[in-house]
Amino acid sequence: MIIRQLALRQGRRSLAPQWRSARRWMSSEVDSISSSMQNSLNETHSIESMLNSLPGERVQPIDDETHQTADTENIGTVFAEFKRQRELQKPLGAIVTPHYEPHTLVTNPPRPSDISLELLLASQAHMGHSTSLWNPGNARYIFGIRDGIHIISLDQTAAHLRRAARVVTAVAERAGLILFVGTRPGQDRAVVKAAELSGGCHLFDRWVAGGITNGTQILGRGKVKVVDEFDQEVPGFEEQLVERASVKPDLVVCLNPMENYVLLHECALNNIPTIGIIDTNANPLWVTYPIPANDDSLRCVQVICGILGRAGEEGKTRRLAAAQAGNITFTPADGFVMPGEEKTEQQKLPRVLKLGASIEELEKQDAMGNRPLKKDPLPRNFIEGEVRERVPRFHDAKKDL
Amino acid sequence: MGVELRYGLRRALHSLRAPPTWQQRSCVASSHRTSRPSKAFSTSTSHRQEPFTAAPEINLSAENNIPILKRIRVVPASPSYFSGKPAFTDDLLALQALLRKYQTLPVVETGHAPRIAWRTFESYKSFLGSEPIKASKYQRLVAILHRLNHIHPSLMPQEVKDAMERYKREINPFANVAKPKPVDEWGRAMGLGRRKTSTARAWLVEGEGEVLVNGGSLAQYFGRLHDRESAVWALKATQRLDKYNVFALVRGGGVTGQAEALTLAVAKALLIHEPGLKPALRRAGCITRDPRKVERKKPGHLKARKMPTWVKR
Repeated sequence: MIIRQLALRQGRRSLAPQWRSARRWMSSEVDSISSSMQNSLNETHSIESMLNSLPGERVQPIDDETHQTADTENIGTVFAEFKRQRELQKPLGAIVTPHYEPHTLVTNPPRPSDISLELLLASQAHMGHSTSLWNPGNARYIFGIRDGIHIISLDQTAAHLRRAARVVTAVAERAGLILFVGTRPGQDRAVVKAAELSGGCHLFDRWVAGGITNGTQILGRGKVKVVDEFDQEVPGFEEQLVERASVKPDLVVCLNPMENYVLLHECALNNIPTIGIIDTNANPLWVTYPIPANDDSLRCVQVICGILGRAGEEGKTRRLAAAQAGNITFTPADGFVMPGEEKTEQQKLPRVLKLGASIEELEKQDAMGNRPLKKDPLPRNFIEGEVRERVPRFHDAKKDL
Repeated sequence: MGVELRYGLRRALHSLRAPPTWQQRSCVASSHRTSRPSKAFSTSTSHRQEPFTAAPEINLSAENNIPILKRIRVVPASPSYFSGKPAFTDDLLALQALLRKYQTLPVVETGHAPRIAWRTFESYKSFLGSEPIKASKYQRLVAILHRLNHIHPSLMPQEVKDAMERYKREINPFANVAKPKPVDEWGRAMGLGRRKTSTARAWLVEGEGEVLVNGGSLAQYFGRLHDRESAVWALKATQRLDKYNVFALVRGGGVTGQAEALTLAVAKALLIHEPGLKPALRRAGCITRDPRKVERKKPGHLKARKMPTWVKR
């Protein structure tokens, strides 16, 4: 360790370009060149001799259990001194102009109010894919072609990102469960942070197929809890939780839709709105709220995920503030009775309607406030290669709750 | 809360409307009595009045008006709910966060950290319950633990110690160290060795190189030169043949087994005298017990593995 540091320090000095010698070389004086070479040779020899004189032995540990050695015994004080020195020296030197610090996108992500074309351009949100890989559905988001790749129009990106942020805020305000999904390597920290900010869930590993359509089997083991408007757990409902179906997200934010076909398909089948980063090669119809941007740049993905996480945080703050003022901003869970009480005959009826149920049965279910499970399929917006205006269907799944 | 309020209000209304009960009547009566001039200045309560506490103040804030069923919702207990293995994912995230927090602390050299036996994959799986975890995922977790364990022991934060405690095996196998055997009062060190079905006990004392096996000399007991050599190979390999006397008792097995059981016994006894010889003896092949034994005969086989000759019909 010591030897390596010494070699690095001394070697750097000896190898550094010496302007004086260079100038001498320019002046074409033969004597000076040979003397400078002699000098550097001497220096190298002196380093060599110094290295050879150093003992090559390692310090023997004095304690087998803790592996303390004579010189590491006081490592605590040495380290404290090192930290103190570092703090002392922090304000010294040149003032560094603001620059890109990659970790800040995760530790302190930007807010929806920070969305600007400069931010998006700096994070390479405009870089699309090779023109041959494009999906024509993205035509309206594409600004042009440069060096064989599509350039995404950043004003479209900003507008769509703002809309998505508003959606996330609104869902979080209504206590919707937001699931952030980013399954590419490196996206995990951004996804976890966004979920933490917005009080939602995260997924960075792999979507287990059937998590929504076959939730009882796939997620049945996962623990759920009953919380009140302040997100505090309410005890006493554990027995009633056992017979309930698994929890489904109310909004899914997918950072890489290309790899998550199964998830988005399941969301569409269950009428769960989705937000996704749509690169020029992705199908914009897979998600409800597309954000045209570069999904291959980690920086861009972290910016977008961070903004949506912050949007969720804002919604959550609003919800908690409303709860403090005594207002409930969400629809409470149905089908619960007070602990210790019996369920009424109506509540005991199955919530799932069988195929071929009569009109009377449907009306009866509607009167009880139970929604029929089968929904209308998603409207087909893509007709004969022409992209139609997508009607925002914000959270219509919640309307008939 | 709502229930309490309702109860309080009902009691208040009840006390306003209802005719006075016998208790109240008696209170009134006693107050009449106390208002007599003879006891006019008495402030003490009558013994008939029962002590009570007034109903709590009416809380007019809106939240108490909403019944609990109208403000509950069901949420996952863990943010990793949709990963299908929430407990494991939470563990992994917690350890990653811990490592990120203490990344800059000084570390000991690789391989110099205290040895810790982490939970086996099976034990961790049963510890979590029934989550479908793969061994490779658990390896990621162990890798983080390994790195955390390399933080310098004198600077190890309590938080890290607590976190590592969760993943340690209940019994630390590295703490199970054999008790060192001492040289007895007559300067003897005893070693026990086994090979095949033979057992050998050897006592080593400092001396001139005399060897007694079951009461006879080495040459008398072992006819083969090779066996004589292997019996005292531990001394020969370390050039201690003329420094110790050996007294050995050998039981069971054949000649080769007994000779090689002696090798192990003598080597172990020698280690008691000179523990520093262990690497040399290991290189000489004297420390490892040879586990090979005669394989048992199986039914349907002629010997351990030999099958009867195949006949067509």
